Amino acid sequence: MKRLGTSIIASALFFVLLSAPSDAVAQDKLVVSIWGGSWRDMVDKIIGTKFTAETGVPVEYITGGTIDRLNKEKLAKGNPESDVTFTTSHVGWLYANDGLYEELDLDKVPNAKNLIPQARISPYHIGTWAYVYTIGYRSDLLKGVSFESWQDLWKPEIKGKLAAPDFDPSHLIVVAAILSGGDAAHWEKGQAKLKELKPSFKAFYTNDANSQQLIANGETPVQVILSMNAHYMVGEGVPVELVIPKEGAVLGIDTVAIMKGSKKRDLAYKFINVALDPQVQAQVASFKKGSPMVSNAKIDPAVARLPGVFTTPEQWSRQAIIIDHKLRAEKTAEWRKWFTENIIN
Amino acid sequence: MTPRPLLRVFVSPAVLCAIGFAAALGAVLQYSLRAYVPGSLEPGGFTLANFTALLHPLYARVFLDTVWICCLTAFFTLVLGYPLAFALVHARSVALKSVILVITVTPLFLGEVVRTYSWIVVLGNNGFLNSMLLKAGLIDAPLQLMFTRLGVVTALVHVTLPVVVIMLAAALAHIDRDYERAAASLGAGPIRAFLTVTLPLSTPGIIASVTTAFAWTFSAFATPQLIGGGRVNMVANLVYQLGFASFNFPFAASLSVAGLMLTFAVLALMRTAARPFERIGLH
Repeated sequence: MKRLGTSIIASALFFVLLSAPSDAVAQDKLVVSIWGGSWRDMVDKIIGTKFTAETGVPVEYITGGTIDRLNKEKLAKGNPESDVTFTTSHVGWLYANDGLYEELDLDKVPNAKNLIPQARISPYHIGTWAYVYTIGYRSDLLKGVSFESWQDLWKPEIKGKLAAPDFDPSHLIVVAAILSGGDAAHWEKGQAKLKELKPSFKAFYTNDANSQQLIANGETPVQVILSMNAHYMVGEGVPVELVIPKEGAVLGIDTVAIMKGSKKRDLAYKFINVALDPQVQAQVASFKKGSPMVSNAKIDPAVARLPGVFTTPEQWSRQAIIIDHKLRAEKTAEWRKWFTENIIN
Repeated sequence: MTPRPLLRVFVSPAVLCAIGFAAALGAVLQYSLRAYVPGSLEPGGFTLANFTALLHPLYARVFLDTVWICCLTAFFTLVLGYPLAFALVHARSVALKSVILVITVTPLFLGEVVRTYSWIVVLGNNGFLNSMLLKAGLIDAPLQLMFTRLGVVTALVHVTLPVVVIMLAAALAHIDRDYERAAASLGAGPIRAFLTVTLPLSTPGIIASVTTAFAWTFSAFATPQLIGGGRVNMVANLVYQLGFASFNFPFAASLSVAGLMLTFAVLALMRTAARPFERIGLH
């Protein structure tokens, strides 16, 4: 028995040694948590490189899906794996509600004085770039069909042609509520309207790559699509038309925050300051075709003209449907369950 | 000194892993009995509400669909896999054996997601299959293969086939060839020798591979997610859609527990149903 105990302790030590980070390495770098793929590459290339040039501190990235990273940080509460976290605005509220974020002192972020009001999400997290979910369609496959309002998705011609994200139904739930005289808080008003849209759905996409593939091969010629994805597909030669309906497009904001318990708060503030630098913001807008979060960013006119890229207060007020981020965090589960039970299945 | 001094050393990592798995399963069970608090990651007090919510007809339908898709996948994998395994074991040429083995096993190295994406290219309206059928004049309009049960089962069979072929080949290789020679010497033709000797003796391998294919398919996620496009859902997709995509971990946990119970129940049923056939294969 004693020998078995010794063996188990030896094995446990082996696993601990395998998984423990080296303190020597952990001291001289800033750890940033972000999605993988082009998001990580963009932040590394545009923000991380400039941060390292200014501070001499390298940046290490922890990548993963929204939920994976949230779960990992929840398990590491108080001793976070990362110093800085990028996530979507409403998911950021889940971090904040669970006490995972540090309250921000924006006096330590000089560039934050230029933040537009929409970027101030909470005392814990602020916007770094924005995008919209809106109607995107293949003009070559849907000849003679035009979209001016979200209501046009209910046209008979769209039957069996539409795709929407399966991971977030909030866009269509809020749009249906608005078309039915309600809003996000009174979303039930749009339930009947949304059920009328059911025959139009051909599929529900599961991630950006899936969305791009389904619209590129014409499988679903109309999508409720992420504006950045649509612009990317246009760049790849796929004739996708992106529409800003008269009711507006549903806004999404990706945010940045400092993890509570981070031992490198000063460096984290410097990193956020670099992220809000007007030149960096302009580069991000050009790279991802998203909206800047500071008012003094000089956006390439060709990018600023793109639908879903907002650079003026008028665009923000007239073209964006903004769902209260905290409400969205609280309602997501309820919306998701209703959508799955009544629309997807 | 114990008779097997290294046994404990070798067993202890497995014991640690088992403790880890048991703890994870315990956490899932505990979560399934906790209330969901909107806007928070922390679950609330103990409740049975997550399980009563499963009484919605949608969940029963998805659970039944999952079992049906698993049955279809296991059946078609066996039908396709058995001849391949038979050829692999009985081929005289080493080169032919190698070709069969490489064709069979290569998909295992590609990963489920890559294999599934390749099926999207094949099954799409403008995909390889529809293009070929249209060019051959066999159809006038593309067949709807994506987002259908047929498409999902086709891709799942491809994903499962390598495992089944390897298991069947192992079972067939263990059958003493003298039995077949004896049957031939008594006047049985190749087909009769196969039906009366080889097939019955390979029954344990068939049962093991069908059971594995079923259990393997039950937890399928990426393939039904991408090929099904939300129109064909299995239990794992529901867990993702309702739990993880909406942060309702307690409900996701209750779905997982219900799925696990269903798997145990179906596997127990299969075991009971297979018992008479197992005796046939004793040799």
